[in-house]
Amino acid sequence: MATTVVARPVARPQARARDEEVLVWPDLVFIEFIAAMLFTITLFFLSVVVNAPLLDQANADVTPNPSKAPWYLLNLQELLLHMNAAMAGIIIPTIWLVILGAFPYFDRDNEGQGVYFGTDGAVKITIIAAAIGFFGTWALILWDSGKVAFFLHDWFRLSGGDSLRFLESARSMQSQLPWPDWSREITYLPFNLRILDGTGSGGPTTFQHLDFPGWLVEQAIPIVFIVGLPSLLIYGMWRMGLVVTRRDALLALFGGFVASYGVLTLTGTAFRGQGQELVFPWELKVSEGIPGQE
Amino acid sequence: MAVEAPAKPTLADKIYDKMFHNYVWKSIFRTGYPNTPRNQMLVVATNVFLHLHPTRIHRTHVKVTHTYCLGGLSFFMFLGLTVTGILLMFYYVPSVERAYLDMQNITTTVQFGQLMRNMHRWMAHAMVILVFLHMMRVFYTGAYKPPREFNWVVGVILLVLTFLLSFTGYLLPWDQLAFWAITVGSNIAGSAPVLGPKTRFWMLGGFEVGPESLIRFYTLHVIGLPLLAAIFMAVHFWRIRRDGGLARPL
Ligand code: HEM
Repeated sequence: MATTVVARPVARPQARARDEEVLVWPDLVFIEFIAAMLFTITLFFLSVVVNAPLLDQANADVTPNPSKAPWYLLNLQELLLHMNAAMAGIIIPTIWLVILGAFPYFDRDNEGQGVYFGTDGAVKITIIAAAIGFFGTWALILWDSGKVAFFLHDWFRLSGGDSLRFLESARSMQSQLPWPDWSREITYLPFNLRILDGTGSGGPTTFQHLDFPGWLVEQAIPIVFIVGLPSLLIYGMWRMGLVVTRRDALLALFGGFVASYGVLTLTGTAFRGQGQELVFPWELKVSEGIPGQE
Repeated sequence: MAVEAPAKPTLADKIYDKMFHNYVWKSIFRTGYPNTPRNQMLVVATNVFLHLHPTRIHRTHVKVTHTYCLGGLSFFMFLGLTVTGILLMFYYVPSVERAYLDMQNITTTVQFGQLMRNMHRWMAHAMVILVFLHMMRVFYTGAYKPPREFNWVVGVILLVLTFLLSFTGYLLPWDQLAFWAITVGSNIAGSAPVLGPKTRFWMLGGFEVGPESLIRFYTLHVIGLPLLAAIFMAVHFWRIRRDGGLARPL
């Protein structure tokens, strides 16, 4: 594919349409000024009315329940509840940022630039992907919290009996299936992989023995969902003829991402109570964590 | 250039003349008040702050609904955070003994201290949201396409820097909210495979959030990260101009 490397003008891809241009002063500077003023005034009044929080002095012995990261990291903290910590906290966000940065190197076509949703079907793709991302993420969170099984059982008196209990959530696959003992300790590496672990903070290494049920629940299933569901979405939309170009594929991916990112952030912020239990926002209470008291 | 003088100068005209056509004013703004197209272009080209802009711009890009000013407002938040942040620095000492007391001091005894702190806090939240929305607007207008690929990458770096700026600032009040949020956050970083525990140790300057973490977060928050962000913003703005202004349809 070396032939696709076509020289392109470095500075100006398009000729300037000088007759279509307006003066920056006053046309743009005026708008910028108004926008800046609006924000200054709004934030000023917000600051007069609402005070930034200041709780008790930091105390390493008193853990509030729940302890939460800043709100823009609560999406990751939410992921953390459903899978391996390294995957949720580091690997997935890093890979996603690389994918995000690589968008323009994947979709190199100029078509549809400079206007909102400038390609055929862009709006449709976005709405469908966002809806699926939104409801799909909620559904997965609900399922993994065990609430779906709870509702089915308590409200509709539906129960699969004990043989189906492993379907209640991801974790119940680990606890409710009759895994043989050897499967919890499969030796696969004869040496220790922790290279830089001289700090004494690491527990026993997890690399030499594989706890298969744990690995399945903590890593395999989440990877299958996180990679599989978006791929399935794009593939399905391609089969339906909705996704045709690379731009379309990115529209589906990004729309799904924004929706599920939003749901994760919102869940982590407003729907996680003590012990990170799934609760309604109005049930959410923070225990100050006075020592010796729950 | 012949300037058409009104037949009889009104009082307003005289005041205008006194204000903008005197020796001192003209020594600062060489162009005089920008009331002719020529001066309007000159002022944008010669003023150090305005020259981030081109002198003229395609008409579709001044429509508010094209950019919603989101990039510009992100930058404006950055400036506002610098101003309020410097004011807060006057009163804040990043030591475990003093940090929390200083915060109490700022919010109770310092004139307008509570206001400054609130502004700083809410602007920081606003900036995170604005940068994210700006990314969405750039994506949905397809403005990352050639020749703007690299500026999108610079943007992603700025997004990360914005998160980091906000995250490092979160620890500084040294209250329970700050302490435990950073504990949770750094535990997330510490879970990385192979490098995790070391990264966490470097980040916190120890095994737990403590005095060393506070001084590290403070230094990064008030100088390290703002400097980096300013450099990347300079590249970001420069590239917008070099890439031929904002994207428009072929
Ligand atoms: C601190 C963060 C940021 C600041 C201060 C900033 C500032 C700006 C400004 C002032 C513009 C001019 C047009 C507008 O206002 O929309 C712009 C355009 C642009 N930004 Fe950002 N930006 C930031 C983050 C980002 C991010 C996170 C991305 C993408 C991931 C991004 C990608 C772009 C691109 C590609 C353009 C060109 C848009 C076009 O040609 O229509 N920027 N940025």
